[in-house]
Amino acid sequence: MNFTGNTKSLLLVHKDMPEQTLDESVNIVLTPQFYTLKREALPVKYAYQAKRIAASLFEGLLEDVSTHEYFVEKKGDSWLFIAYDLEKIQDFLVEKGFDLTLVSKMFFAEQMSEHLTSTVATGENEALVNFDGNLIMVPKTALADDVEYMEVHKDFTPKKGITLEAGEKSFLPKKESYILAGIFFLFAFFFVIEGLRYSGENTEEVEKIQSLLASYPALQSSYTRENIAKKYQSIDAKERKKRESIKAIAGMIFKGSTLSSFSMDSKKFQALFICTDAKIVKKVEALAKKENFSAQKVANSHEIKIEGSL
Amino acid sequence: MNWKTYKNELLVALSLLVLILALSYKVAKVSQNEGTASTTGTSLYELEKIIALKKVWGNKKISKKVDKLKTLVPPSKLQWQKKSKKLTAVFTSLDERELNKVVSTLLNLAVVIQKIELKRTETSYNLEFTCKW
Repeated sequence: MNFTGNTKSLLLVHKDMPEQTLDESVNIVLTPQFYTLKREALPVKYAYQAKRIAASLFEGLLEDVSTHEYFVEKKGDSWLFIAYDLEKIQDFLVEKGFDLTLVSKMFFAEQMSEHLTSTVATGENEALVNFDGNLIMVPKTALADDVEYMEVHKDFTPKKGITLEAGEKSFLPKKESYILAGIFFLFAFFFVIEGLRYSGENTEEVEKIQSLLASYPALQSSYTRENIAKKYQSIDAKERKKRESIKAIAGMIFKGSTLSSFSMDSKKFQALFICTDAKIVKKVEALAKKENFSAQKVANSHEIKIEGSL
Repeated sequence: MNWKTYKNELLVALSLLVLILALSYKVAKVSQNEGTASTTGTSLYELEKIIALKKVWGNKKISKKVDKLKTLVPPSKLQWQKKSKKLTAVFTSLDERELNKVVSTLLNLAVVIQKIELKRTETSYNLEFTCKW
């Protein structure tokens, strides 16, 4: 398996080429007939920076700068700028019978100048010649009769090329597709993170339960837990009631109201208050009613008996 | 069909599929979590409650704590009868301050109060109670 992407055949495209019938996907390389180039030593580091200024470099050289697209590549110390009219190139390819969906990538002859050291035949009248590192088209009549021609080989395929988007017949443009896919993947990522967070949310409680069960092994049995809960809950409820009742009775002791006696067993309690006057008796009675105790005034006295069940 | 022709659409479709799967995963985890969170929370609450009850009402050191009641009043005012896990105490001639101290201490002890008898005389109180643990 070849991972470099040079498995496709490389086809040289020139103006005099015969009509083509493609059976499989190919890469194409354009002769200088289809582009205008410039080499410039610019103090820029990255290709995207060079690409930004490409149009300004071709002002005056091209008839219509706006119809052209630009390809940039670092070559040694200088930058190689290539201006090309993609629409015209595609029209030409269609005219020559190319199925654009089978054109994988497009390259420029200039990119492979180090491989094209000899002359390459391009039809009956012209040839592609490497002149001091620059590839130019020259009439064959200007060449010596015994010149040796070389073939363009797929091993010459450069790394960087241009994808013919028009040939992909996509409904969605490449840029928008990438943005949309990026947004979808980003949301998917967030959903997965959120899902993972939810799945780990109970872990703390589960760990706490396990830790408690390890500290109290007897409670591992649900039967034991139920029995303990039943036993102590009943005690807890009854004893709370007793203590709350005693506190409520204690709250009825104030100036003018004295607790004379109090008794309590496991089922009920009884308290007798001696009050200084009828007004205090009423007040104690009201407090007892508020606590849902039964209050009974003792006849012909300022005493009141309070009872309650537990 | 050359898949490259529709690679943009395929990319968007694939990312959309991943998005749907991720969303389904999240929704499944949320609903699963809601169910288990409630069960786990209840179990933890019940367990902690049982342990707390056991610590309070099953405290083995309560017998020593009960002895604190003896120290609240002079021995002359107290009849103390402690047998196994049961106590019967009779306090006589308690003033209000002493009565409050004894009753407050008793109420704060995790013991089962079986009986309380309190009677006021002219100037003091007599208190008798029985409790077990």
